[in-house]
Amino acid sequence: MADLFPPLATAQVDAKTKVDEKVDYSNLPCPVPYDEVHREAYMSLKAENFEGFRFDFSKGLNQKFSLSHSVMMGPTEVPSQSPDTTIKIPVAHYEFGANYFDPKLMLVGRVMTDGRLNARLKADLSDKLILKANAQLTGEPHMSHSVFNFDYMGKDYRAQLQLGNNALVGATYIQSVTPRLSLGGEVFWAGVPRKSGLGYAARYETDQMVASAQVASTGNVVMNYVQKISEKVSLATDFVYNYFSRDVVASVGYDYILRQSRIRGKVDSNGVTSALLEERLSMGLNFLLSAEIDHKKKDYKFGFGLTVG
Amino acid sequence: MDSLKGKGKGSKGASSSSKLDLIEEWSNWSLKKAKVATHYGFIPLIIVIGMNSDPKPHLFQLLSPV
Repeated sequence: MADLFPPLATAQVDAKTKVDEKVDYSNLPCPVPYDEVHREAYMSLKAENFEGFRFDFSKGLNQKFSLSHSVMMGPTEVPSQSPDTTIKIPVAHYEFGANYFDPKLMLVGRVMTDGRLNARLKADLSDKLILKANAQLTGEPHMSHSVFNFDYMGKDYRAQLQLGNNALVGATYIQSVTPRLSLGGEVFWAGVPRKSGLGYAARYETDQMVASAQVASTGNVVMNYVQKISEKVSLATDFVYNYFSRDVVASVGYDYILRQSRIRGKVDSNGVTSALLEERLSMGLNFLLSAEIDHKKKDYKFGFGLTVG
Repeated sequence: MDSLKGKGKGSKGASSSSKLDLIEEWSNWSLKKAKVATHYGFIPLIIVIGMNSDPKPHLFQLLSPV
């Protein structure tokens, strides 16, 4: 009699292991970094839409080192006095980039024809300590900024210290509380507009969904939810509310990852609809189509591009 | 009292404030130089590190468009 039962029982236990087994609180997984708490939601909701023509050519010299050449031609928005009208100026530029990827050191540099340098560095100082630096340098005085981050990865927590120019100091901390829930907080102090801020974030994830929320003392409340419908499809929804300026935006987005292409799009409560299609024409050749339609402001942005390598 | 205080701040003899000023001035100068060095030297640095990594790529590969 006892022999008849075990096969059925073990099959059920395997399926429900994650929920039924006693939670081992001393062995929780490491949480995602604080900046990436909304990572899955932003993959569909904050896709990189662009306007105009884009061509990226990436040439690898060896496994670790590659060069990239980018050409971008299109209208660029210029801040205007009234919020209703958008002023666009056609601009064309060429950007040269060099990348070096090592398991312990990553260097990415991009320089444009007008002399602007965009530099990123990521170095593993030790097993658990990572230094990340990000800088945008221009020839004009007082227009450059740089940020240095020191990330420490503990067993089930992550801590980060951030130092920026113009006396910007920030720290974030995120901790796994259960195998699925992680909570974090951040505090920052900015020297130039003399203000400090505090924020909290929470993230709950399972195999099929991720729900996250973030509150900041700047007044922003962000809540989003992502559901993975299948291997190829996921849907996301987002709600942003600012309790000082009373701005509310809600959006719904989708992400379809198909064999030869990836299409992401969203619809917004501000009347903005956007979509981004990345199609793999052949090995190393990608075709991009981007569209963003703002019905309220009557601003229509369409872009196409090609990525080689 | 106020005039004495004013004199104390104005005089160059106060060593602590001039030391801090020196340190601040030196750090500003070095940050400016570091910014210029990074601006001109970051991409060449990546190229030098990349050209010296294994397997060593050829200079021709760096310059040709293919």
